[in-house]
Amino acid sequence: MSSASIISVKNLGKTYTVPEREAGVKAAVVSLFHRTMREIHAVRDVSFEIAPGEIVGFLGPNGAGKTTTLKMLSGLLHPTSGEASVLGFTPWERDRAYLAQMTLIMGQRNQLQWDIPVIDSYQLFKAIFRISDDDYKRRLDELIEWLDLQELINKPARNLSLGERMKCEIAGSLLHQPKVLFLDEPTIGLDVSMQRKIREFVAEYNARTGAAVMLTSHYMADIEALCQRVIVIHHGTLLYDGDLPGLVSRFSPHKTIAVEFSEPVTTISDKYGELVSTTESRWEIRVPKARTAVVASALLADLPIDDLTISEPPIEEVIEHVFATGDGA
Amino acid sequence: MHAFTVIRTYLRLGLLNFVQYRADFFLGVVNAAIQFAIQLLAISIVFNQTDSLKGWSRADLIVLVGVHAIVSGILGTVFSPSIGAFLESIRLGTFDFLLTKPVDAQLLASVQSVAPQSLTSLLAGIVIIVYGLQTGSGFPGFGSVVIFVGLLIAGLMMVYSFMMVLASLAFWFVKLDNIMNIFNTMFGNAGTWPITIFPGWLRVTLTFIIPIAFAVTIPAQALIGSLTLANALLTAALAVLFVAASRWFWLFAVKHYTGASA
Amino acid sequence: MSAESPDVTKPSPRALLDLYRGEMSVMLAWNLQYRGAVFLWVLGAVMQPLVLIVVWQAVADGRDTGMTAGEYAAYFMVSMIVSHMTFIWHMWEFEWRIRSGYFSPLLLRPVHPIHADVCQSLAYKLVGLAGIIPAAILMAVIFRADFGNASWQSVMAFLPALLLAMALRFIVEWCLALAAFWMTKVASLNQLFDAFFLFLGGQFAPISVMPDWIQTLSFVLPFRWSIYFPIQVALGNITGADLWIGFGMQIAWIALAVAVLQLMWKRAVANYSAVGA
Repeated sequence: MSSASIISVKNLGKTYTVPEREAGVKAAVVSLFHRTMREIHAVRDVSFEIAPGEIVGFLGPNGAGKTTTLKMLSGLLHPTSGEASVLGFTPWERDRAYLAQMTLIMGQRNQLQWDIPVIDSYQLFKAIFRISDDDYKRRLDELIEWLDLQELINKPARNLSLGERMKCEIAGSLLHQPKVLFLDEPTIGLDVSMQRKIREFVAEYNARTGAAVMLTSHYMADIEALCQRVIVIHHGTLLYDGDLPGLVSRFSPHKTIAVEFSEPVTTISDKYGELVSTTESRWEIRVPKARTAVVASALLADLPIDDLTISEPPIEEVIEHVFATGDGA
Repeated sequence: MHAFTVIRTYLRLGLLNFVQYRADFFLGVVNAAIQFAIQLLAISIVFNQTDSLKGWSRADLIVLVGVHAIVSGILGTVFSPSIGAFLESIRLGTFDFLLTKPVDAQLLASVQSVAPQSLTSLLAGIVIIVYGLQTGSGFPGFGSVVIFVGLLIAGLMMVYSFMMVLASLAFWFVKLDNIMNIFNTMFGNAGTWPITIFPGWLRVTLTFIIPIAFAVTIPAQALIGSLTLANALLTAALAVLFVAASRWFWLFAVKHYTGASA
Repeated sequence: MSAESPDVTKPSPRALLDLYRGEMSVMLAWNLQYRGAVFLWVLGAVMQPLVLIVVWQAVADGRDTGMTAGEYAAYFMVSMIVSHMTFIWHMWEFEWRIRSGYFSPLLLRPVHPIHADVCQSLAYKLVGLAGIIPAAILMAVIFRADFGNASWQSVMAFLPALLLAMALRFIVEWCLALAAFWMTKVASLNQLFDAFFLFLGGQFAPISVMPDWIQTLSFVLPFRWSIYFPIQVALGNITGADLWIGFGMQIAWIALAVAVLQLMWKRAVANYSAVGA
């Protein structure tokens, strides 16, 4: 696996030292003379490998260390410890040959020039990335078609809606056809249909070019639609690396048993587990994972069951649970 | 050269988008007019009381104001707006995008924004110089003009380097919107007067820390014929030194920003 | 007014005092937090008088301009303090405030936004004094300032003159700042206004050495009463009847400016809500 990987991260760590101060005038005056410093371990001992063509979702609550990790991999930050290699380069050496093959897209920040037409910003990217006239024209046409940009690129960025601007940002960031994409919350603040469009586009770009994509998002829909694999990070530490179903089965402490009755059941009993919903014809019960089999057979023995299904809880719920407890135990 | 292509693209787009700035353009003309009215009125008030300011005549001072206008015009067209955009990008975090580009980040930071309306100041400066020379010592020879242009470029390089050093401080102190205020008030206030009227200690501070003299006074001296060879050579040597020092400081600052020096 | 529902649109002096106390402590903390930025602005405020001392001492060198080199130093040193204490930046900020929608939440508050601005500028001035006072002392020593006529009486008279000047300049510039409600670009107007302070206010040179037309014009405009008058009061150059005339002019201009401000503010708000920002 290691030889085939395009991104390889070993024991990566980043520690910040930040000043600390309380609110109020008095504290402000005190801090002029005496500063208390505190160490923050933003990322601790994180290791993983990513193969070409993979789309990997990077999950974690705010402040988990996702952005710090992405910044280290895109060469913006030096780690305090550990190593990383992307496309054979050490990212933070910022070799121009490396920078020319990757891109970083941040949903909350834009890099198009505010006052000039989008197409002019693209001209700048063309000059910066030394894209040949032919390549530029061909790729631009492709991107315009895929993302439906025809109407947008001649307007100044300030006149575009948030979603339109994001499409233009993404197109601009891909003109040099990067082999590695770091996407930090690319769909944040967008409406549902625009989110879907961007998601589809990322999948399409990945399929056509075989680029590796690392993506953070608060929207599970993005992750579910795009990522075969997720990496979960919390308090700077790697909690999980694997596929989505695996994440659920590993971290969810519960399963949901739904039963359909062949005849109306009116006596409700909570001895099986936590009743999520009950009607005369259907119950949904949440049970601890270890007891699933026991409860299921008890239900089958006790009640007039027509149909019984056992399911995992929704992914959001699992993630929330993981982040709430911190260790997923 | 790649860097040259990048610079050319930025400048071309800045000028091409002139229409985007039409309102700003007229505003720039009005502002420049007010600015010159202030400076000329100031000279006239001073020369109400005297006819020579430490050896500088009224006409000499008008030439100096013209040179000052040319320098501010060039700074205002490219460097000031770009450095302003750079400081803003540090605050907003979009500077990260510049660092992920396969071009020198200092170059991008220095030319990323163009304000063509400031070119009016440059044009007005030329007119003021011509007027000043005409009422004063007369026009210099071709050689002097060439020396003037050379010194002006050297002076601009020094001023640019100084601005970059100030701007680089933003890597440590994010909230530094007004750092250029130091430069602007120094340049705006001290720059319109000949550096030779300042007492020794102040001249040393203003000249060596803030190279206003080299950007304004010394090129103006080339036009009015009071330049010494030593000053001309010193200017050229210092320009090289300033550029090298500011480059070193920029690289040091970027290292700090990325946590490489910690 | 019943006790349960105090009329918030007309705050009692007590409520206003509480508001000022709260705003001041927040603004002071803010200015201390961003003391680096404050320091930079203060450095800018030192530059102009510093350069002008040099220019006018060069002019006075061996010539009679009616003032000695030492008197020029004293004049511009006090000018720096008065300029700092009366300076506000709101006319440069309103364009942004309106464009960015910063004003909208302020208009929803039950107090006039001018109170927050008063506190903001006072806090800045107080924190900035930490830089201005040492700079003034240095300036006086280095340029051998001559405070000839200054006395403890003149310093006592300076305090009310300065306070009135602060109030006057604040209200006048706040009125000017309101122009941004009608104009999209106010920079030229502001620059022109600054030029008036420079020449008609006495920042560039003592008005006594300026051409006659400036001297005459300055008497009837507010700028002189915000800068030149308090400086000359401090230096002991304005005494007796002239002192009372000056106070009278300050108060008259404040009264006029307050009236204009109320009128403009009402229209500005109406205009703002009509346009909808």
